[in-house]
Amino acid sequence: MEEKYQAHRLLYELLKDVQEPPELRSIVDWTGRVLRAVDQGQPIVYNEFTFWCDSMIAMDIQPLSPEVWPAMLLAAVAAFPEMVDPNALASADNPILDTAVEAGIPPELCTAGRGIVGGLLTDFLPPPSMTVVPSYPCDNTRAIYQTVANLTGAPIYWLDCPYWMDEPEAMDYWVSQYKGLISFLEEHSGKKMDYDRLKEVVEESNRFVDYWLEGSELLRMKPLPQNGPFLATEVLLNLGLPIATEVVKARLDALKERIARGETAVPEEKVRVVWNYLPVLWDPGLFDWMAQEFGAVTPVAMGSWEHHEPVDTSTPESIIRGMARRALGAHMGRHGASSSDVWIEDTLHAFEQWQGDCIIVNGALGCKWVRGSYGYLRDICRQRGIPVMMFDADIADPRVVSQEEVHARIGEFLDTVMAR
Amino acid sequence: MTALEELTKQADTLTNPYIERWKERGGKIIGYYCTYVPEEIIHAAGMLPYRMRATGSTSSELGDAYASTTTCTFCRHALDQAMKGEYSFLDGLVTLHSCDHVARTFDAWRYGKVPLPDPFYLRFLDVPIKTDAPAVEWMTLQLDKFKRSLEDHFQVTISDEALRRSVKTYNEKRRLLKSLYELRKKEAPPITGAEVLGICIASTSMPADEFNQLLRQSLDELKGRDGFWDYRARLLLAGGELEDPAYIRVIEELGGLVVTDMLCFGLRAFWDLVDEDSEPIAALAKRYIERISCPRMIDYSRRLKFIRDLLGEFKADGIIVQRMKYCDNWACDGAMIRWQAKEDGTPYLILEREYLMSAVGQMRTRVQAFLETIMR
Repeated sequence: MEEKYQAHRLLYELLKDVQEPPELRSIVDWTGRVLRAVDQGQPIVYNEFTFWCDSMIAMDIQPLSPEVWPAMLLAAVAAFPEMVDPNALASADNPILDTAVEAGIPPELCTAGRGIVGGLLTDFLPPPSMTVVPSYPCDNTRAIYQTVANLTGAPIYWLDCPYWMDEPEAMDYWVSQYKGLISFLEEHSGKKMDYDRLKEVVEESNRFVDYWLEGSELLRMKPLPQNGPFLATEVLLNLGLPIATEVVKARLDALKERIARGETAVPEEKVRVVWNYLPVLWDPGLFDWMAQEFGAVTPVAMGSWEHHEPVDTSTPESIIRGMARRALGAHMGRHGASSSDVWIEDTLHAFEQWQGDCIIVNGALGCKWVRGSYGYLRDICRQRGIPVMMFDADIADPRVVSQEEVHARIGEFLDTVMAR
Repeated sequence: MTALEELTKQADTLTNPYIERWKERGGKIIGYYCTYVPEEIIHAAGMLPYRMRATGSTSSELGDAYASTTTCTFCRHALDQAMKGEYSFLDGLVTLHSCDHVARTFDAWRYGKVPLPDPFYLRFLDVPIKTDAPAVEWMTLQLDKFKRSLEDHFQVTISDEALRRSVKTYNEKRRLLKSLYELRKKEAPPITGAEVLGICIASTSMPADEFNQLLRQSLDELKGRDGFWDYRARLLLAGGELEDPAYIRVIEELGGLVVTDMLCFGLRAFWDLVDEDSEPIAALAKRYIERISCPRMIDYSRRLKFIRDLLGEFKADGIIVQRMKYCDNWACDGAMIRWQAKEDGTPYLILEREYLMSAVGQMRTRVQAFLETIMR
């Protein structure tokens, strides 16, 4: 019988002993664990891509964030551009997306979601034993994951997030959703939550968050010591495992060493870009291109910083409540879960704290909430004299808007910003 | 003019003489965007609930300044109408996270992009997406807060007694609409799908008591009407926002008689009744959360079963799903309906549309071809 998930297996074998860059190590390790769980018939739980995985790690159930499954391929490209042709990679992704469309999922749905349906239909993506999804960030999420449940028949648990989280009763409702999550995982895995183990895992995740946010804070420096936002994909893959902490610590140490050596992202920093959306996933070199061509550095992006307090691990109740509270800080999730206020406030906070000169929004065509909020941000920025621009692109499919078009649009904007 | 004609013509215009009379008498009108807003609470406050439409809009240029190119065209047109002051008859607006499109365009109202009289009542209900007991409890809390905020803003009292009366009035409306749908089960239904949509729209644009009276008369009139025999297929029409009976007329002119639906303005809005014997706010919460759902709710398996049941009950030969472009909610429900229909051997057609009727020629061709595959 033909073995499934060949691309991942191949890359895993190729990269499993590679130590640098650290973020690749994390993704390779996760991919290996997913493949082992598949091969051994162990349960796999899908965690939607804004939902951190430490509760699953604590129960020793393998998380698989399906939106992030192609990350192995993307990370390999980013780390070793000479090894994999990004254009070939993009075209390899096309049949998956096209399969979803042929099955009836309209092309204007978020590519991340279409990728899940296409991935399941083409055996690119291992199917879940169970699925955990918050009600955020968007219509795509709610629509696609109902489809995943329909396609796979796997049990699914939804965490229903109130729209107005400042309302007094909202936190209790949200915490009750978290408690329901534990019961769901117990019921469908046959395992019991060991709260001592959960405490260990959450303490590990607290350490992770500390290192991550410290790295992000260091990028407030001007000139910027290292180009590119301090992202933390690990929260979806390995959070609560030592490897996630080791990897983020290694990244932090490397950044500190650069700072100690007085290194900067570019010889002459001309513009600081606040990027308040996801990067363009199919163009991992975009931030470097902006830096090289324009001296435009990108210290911050959606998900490279968040408001978090350490989870209080003194009692099971405080752990659950702390995890629930922390989930509300997760970017994208919190932005789509509530009114435009939240995304706009976070964007302006990032602009101020990371000393931005302008704001660029990746106007992902499938993302109706960000595109629907942009006009309000634009008005505020105009009032405050902040240059802001949203460009059209698909997050994972370069056929929709090409790299040339994206670069041209960003280039024109940066020229304008620099001419001010 | 017959009562039936009086009702169906209400869909042709944004406002109507009933609304004008209501305003002349000093009555308040509260707009609402979605079927998850309980009209009963507004009614019990002595106000007129009005379901938002963009009827009469011909462009969306003002709305496009805030809504994006991938916002559905209903929301863009409705925002445009708002920015042009076309909803000046409203004293308030209530919505919820029906979808990202509605939620984001509602922000324009909150952010002062829409010219509003002062004071103007704005409320965003926090409606859960789940349908379980904790969700009903959460909804109860939200509806109680909604009731109190209406009371505070308009300085009125909404008594339990008034709520019970409103529940009865709206249940009566629902029963009458269900009687209308019963007629559609006949081999020769006396009413078209386009007419039914017109009536359903009227039910959201005029005082409930007057509507109920007109619908009773219409049901009497229909007793004497000949049924439609000359159709080529009986159809179930599913999908989200559809407020233009002309859209259904295109299908029906080609011989596809729409005998039932799973529409936002149609059956989904009224099918389930409120328990009249329970505490009213709790009963409303239960009804609105447990009713036959919209794809915003995590309830796809019940929706699919409901559609299968409707097909049987109304002896429909096929399904058409009409979906507004960029509507994510109906994107996946449409796909799942398609998969189920395929499995069941039910003919299906998925039509994408914009708010304004366009590409009618292409639509005709597709519907015609679809009807030919049914070969009744």
